[in-house]
Amino acid sequence: MTDAQLGTAGPAQIPFQPEGERPARPEALLVATNLVKSYGPVHAVQGVSFQCNKGEVLALVGENGAGKSTVAKMLAGAVAPTSGSIAVNGEPLISGSVKKSRQSGVRCAFQELALVADWTVAENLSLPDGAPHHRFSQKKSVAAAAELLGTLDLPHIDPRATVGSLSLADRQLVEIARALAGGPELLILDEASSALTPPGVAWLFQRIRELTAEGGSVIYVSHRLGEIAEIADRGAVLRDGKVAGEFVRGGWTDDELVSLMAGREAARFFPDPPPRITDDVALSVSNLKSDGVHGIGLSIGAGEILGVGGLQGHGQAELLRALFGAAPATADSWTIAGRTISGTTPVRSVRYGVGYVPEDRKKEGLALEMSVGENLLVPWFKAYQLGGRPLLSRERGWISGILDALSVRTRGPKEAAGSLSGGNQQKLVFGRWMDRSRTVILLHDPTRGIDVRAKQELYAAIVDLAKQGVGVLWFSTEVEELVHVCHRVVVLYQGAVIDELEGERLTGDAVVGAAMGLRAAA
Amino acid sequence: MSVLASSSASAPAPTRLRSGGGMVRLRREGAIAPVSAFIVFLLVYVIINPELLTRFQLQTAANLVVPLALVALGQLIVVLVGGIDISIGAIMSLCNVVFATQLEAVPPPVAILLSLGVGLGCGLFNGLLVAYGGLPAIAVTLASAFIFGSLASEVLDRPGGGLTKEIYLATSGELVPFLPVSLVYLAIVAVLLWLLLQRTALGRHIYGVGSNMESVRAAGLNARLTKLIAFGLAGMVTSVGAMMLAASTVTGDPRSGDAYLLSSIAAVALAGAAFTGGRGSIIGTVLAACTLGLIGNLLFFAGINSYWQYVISALIIFTVVGLPVIWSKIAFAVKGARA
Amino acid sequence: MTVSAAPPNNPSVETPQGKLRGRASIKQAASLVPRSVWPLLAFLVLFAVGGVIRPNLITVESLIGTATFAIILAIASFGQTIAVIQAGIDLSVPNTIGFSALSFLGLVGPLGPAGAFVGALATGAVIGFFNGIVVSKLGLTPIVTTIAMNGLLFGVILLVFNFSELTAIPEFIVAITSAKVSFLGLEMAAVLPLGLALMVVLQLLLSFTGWGRSLFVVGSAAEAARLGGLPVDRIRVGGYVLSGVLAAFAGIVIVGYYQQASATMGAGYLLSSVAAVVVGGASIFGGRGSVVGTVGGALVLAQVSTLVTVLNLGANIQQLIYGVIILVVISLYGRQGRG
Repeated sequence: MTDAQLGTAGPAQIPFQPEGERPARPEALLVATNLVKSYGPVHAVQGVSFQCNKGEVLALVGENGAGKSTVAKMLAGAVAPTSGSIAVNGEPLISGSVKKSRQSGVRCAFQELALVADWTVAENLSLPDGAPHHRFSQKKSVAAAAELLGTLDLPHIDPRATVGSLSLADRQLVEIARALAGGPELLILDEASSALTPPGVAWLFQRIRELTAEGGSVIYVSHRLGEIAEIADRGAVLRDGKVAGEFVRGGWTDDELVSLMAGREAARFFPDPPPRITDDVALSVSNLKSDGVHGIGLSIGAGEILGVGGLQGHGQAELLRALFGAAPATADSWTIAGRTISGTTPVRSVRYGVGYVPEDRKKEGLALEMSVGENLLVPWFKAYQLGGRPLLSRERGWISGILDALSVRTRGPKEAAGSLSGGNQQKLVFGRWMDRSRTVILLHDPTRGIDVRAKQELYAAIVDLAKQGVGVLWFSTEVEELVHVCHRVVVLYQGAVIDELEGERLTGDAVVGAAMGLRAAA
Repeated sequence: MSVLASSSASAPAPTRLRSGGGMVRLRREGAIAPVSAFIVFLLVYVIINPELLTRFQLQTAANLVVPLALVALGQLIVVLVGGIDISIGAIMSLCNVVFATQLEAVPPPVAILLSLGVGLGCGLFNGLLVAYGGLPAIAVTLASAFIFGSLASEVLDRPGGGLTKEIYLATSGELVPFLPVSLVYLAIVAVLLWLLLQRTALGRHIYGVGSNMESVRAAGLNARLTKLIAFGLAGMVTSVGAMMLAASTVTGDPRSGDAYLLSSIAAVALAGAAFTGGRGSIIGTVLAACTLGLIGNLLFFAGINSYWQYVISALIIFTVVGLPVIWSKIAFAVKGARA
Repeated sequence: MTVSAAPPNNPSVETPQGKLRGRASIKQAASLVPRSVWPLLAFLVLFAVGGVIRPNLITVESLIGTATFAIILAIASFGQTIAVIQAGIDLSVPNTIGFSALSFLGLVGPLGPAGAFVGALATGAVIGFFNGIVVSKLGLTPIVTTIAMNGLLFGVILLVFNFSELTAIPEFIVAITSAKVSFLGLEMAAVLPLGLALMVVLQLLLSFTGWGRSLFVVGSAAEAARLGGLPVDRIRVGGYVLSGVLAAFAGIVIVGYYQQASATMGAGYLLSSVAAVVVGGASIFGGRGSVVGTVGGALVLAQVSTLVTVLNLGANIQQLIYGVIILVVISLYGRQGRG
């Protein structure tokens, strides 16, 4: 598909709008032309063009890694495009400066929060807009922040609190409030609802409607189709850094959009979980407590894929870290492969047969300066034995086996791990636990931000592991993965298991519902 | 809006800190421990040596700690933006000898300005390479430590310079009885810095850049310029310290700053500042410098071999900086994971 | 960059970021050369430059003279190399050198030379162990920890040793350092082959053992190492112990070569040990470095010193050039440290 040109939509393509609220001919507020962004060999965005009209909500949808966030950052000025142009009200936007973008009336609430954790809410709200040499008064900024939070209907947030002490949802609200302050012409919301509760999302939509009613525009970046159906007037689907298609309000179904997002030729295929052979328990824990985990009990069978669902920040990451011993934790009972333990550390966990694929592969998973082979071997270094190249040649068979099995695209075990693409890096973090007689492996959203092909290869590898009798605990932010590839799913809400879904009850709606804190009536 | 309120009520923020109270800010900036340490220290000192409160001894003690406190403040500013300044001793030496030699040639106010300018220049040199060159502060300042050090020896190769008794009296004497004038200068610098850091947007930017550079940039602020300014400012504050040292010792010395590299870092560490940036307090740093600077003095009056000061300083740092960590570990072990 | 510690002819190194096509091939060709070779090349260039200026400098004797000077700095920097690789700078090197050297001299009487040798190395191990425990268990910043340790050791040195008694240098230690030996048919001080042998042993340890490689993983990404199940704390402590032992060894060698010991004998190695490591191509953030590179870095610094002496430029210019060299080196590859 060639790059679809958006924004030439005639009036016929805007149904479902009450007459009179909208000018007959849409007036372009922002025009993005042929945006390209490359990070070295990785082409995150390859020629994206679209237009956002005054007073409308334009959705940018796509899977993780499709390039949505990069586009949003280019519009906001946080990232300079490699080529292409952006115009606001006909004026070219000076690229690569958040300040210039803000002055042009373009404001963004970022996905990775752009708040300074050590600043108070008031400081975070007011500092970006003052000149540095100006006098700064805590009292005045607190008053201004309180007023802003008041008008935005967020009275429960204390302007004097440091942002680091707020809950994730509140932090996201502050981030949105900062973008809303000063009445932007164009508001970019980059996955801004990811940590919000349903009332929070309703609040956000209320603000969006107020803004568009005053003639402002919103670019709503998300992959949550339900929210897009409710709020978006038009939308563009991004896939692999290109515009794969466009849609208007009411003119689409979930299935159409999903297939656009996934791509027809690379239609998403979820393998089924393998049949369970034994009833052996690989890991069981009861009343597990840790920071952010409030008494979770669960058991993973050998060869079972147990999914973990829930909204961001409800204890999933902490659960995995606690189970691996990366965060201190206590439990009433805790067994791994039938062996009772009282607690664990990462070193002991590896010995017990547990493997862990952490959240941030660049910081927590890999030593980017070191070679592919050594990164695979990290858990298997023995202090008093050979290392480096002798070890690589001794383990050559295993390494090439893993690299082949996961189709890691690399020039060989001696290439630096840092020069691989994200998906291939993720495969390394995963691959180091393969064929190493693991009992349980804990996965923290391993398919986040990697391309579709790499995802398929990881799915296959996960299912293979389960076939070999490894228990898999898989925290995923993609409901589809949980529903299709897992035997069973536990959904976390505020650090505890709110529901456990299996068989008939394991549906996307049930997972989402439970994640919102609504326990389905059994 | 009750629905939202409920979402926050379910996840209350128990550690909500109010920045209004001074105590809270001290705690947030890690200054409780050094302030308490200083109070304890001062009590011990006055008990062992009530003579401290005589005019002569107050003056001696003040002249001893003021240069260290000023240099530590310079180090603190760099640490606040997430850097560290290995060249601070060399900057001090350079400013010291520039001041001393220029006094022979030009009127004192011009010499002061020149010395301040040199400090600013040194700081900007480091800052440019760190902020705009994207180089690690520790490596840049290691290099500039050699460079500034050699310049200092070029300017004046052995102790000397044109310092006079008048200069000594103007900086290191007494303003009024029982009030050493050096303490006044320190107070002026500290208060100005405090106003800058707490009461201007720039100051808050400096804290923010150290806390999270990327967030500050994403908020549309000029993080690099902030860093550059912080380095320049640190250079100027260091220069004030260098002049105070030159004046109180009545000599310019190209090696005079050497000892202050490690002790300035030690004082900032004792002040509870985070070496990753974004956290650190001015009052904490000043008091930490006073504590470290007066230990030798105290031991002398207590009749203990003053060489112990090095050992005791180290132990104080280990204790004050390490205690909170040990404490939290113990607290966790006792309470378990009942959070 | 990968395995910078690999011995020459490692063909696998590649820059992580793809560059423009035109420069790619040059970059690729350049990247085929392991990093530790660059300082050695730089040394050869400087050596040739010296020859151009003064043809009589191109002699084997001149080379050996520079190399001897370099190897002592290199030995003093080996411990620093280990510390930097694991992302923990060791600023206690100076007084570890002094303390172990003085301990050695003090222990020769009661324990004999061999016993004193072992005893002095053991003091280094204890110092390193303490540094490692504080850094890994208490979580203090390596800079603060080792600065405090450096101060503590200085106090202990002044308190414990009676300098007037510590003048007799045992024969044994002279024999392995300053005594002339014939090596490869050339007359040279024994310290040169000793240092080169130590370099080979350490490089083998770093490149080809599990512990050595773990050290790089910890330095490159400590959290990744921890979550990969490596005993990070133990590796860290081990690294500091080795660093301490090597600094202690350097102290003994320096005593043997210069035949004198004093309380401040290590002071000059505070910045120069870091300088040699950085010029040797190590990343100040850890995860990259090699002892071969450190020897190369020391050779570069030593050759500069030789040239400055020959050209009669004075010690100030030497320091200035050191600073400039460090700046050049870090701007060449300092930025790639953190992605």
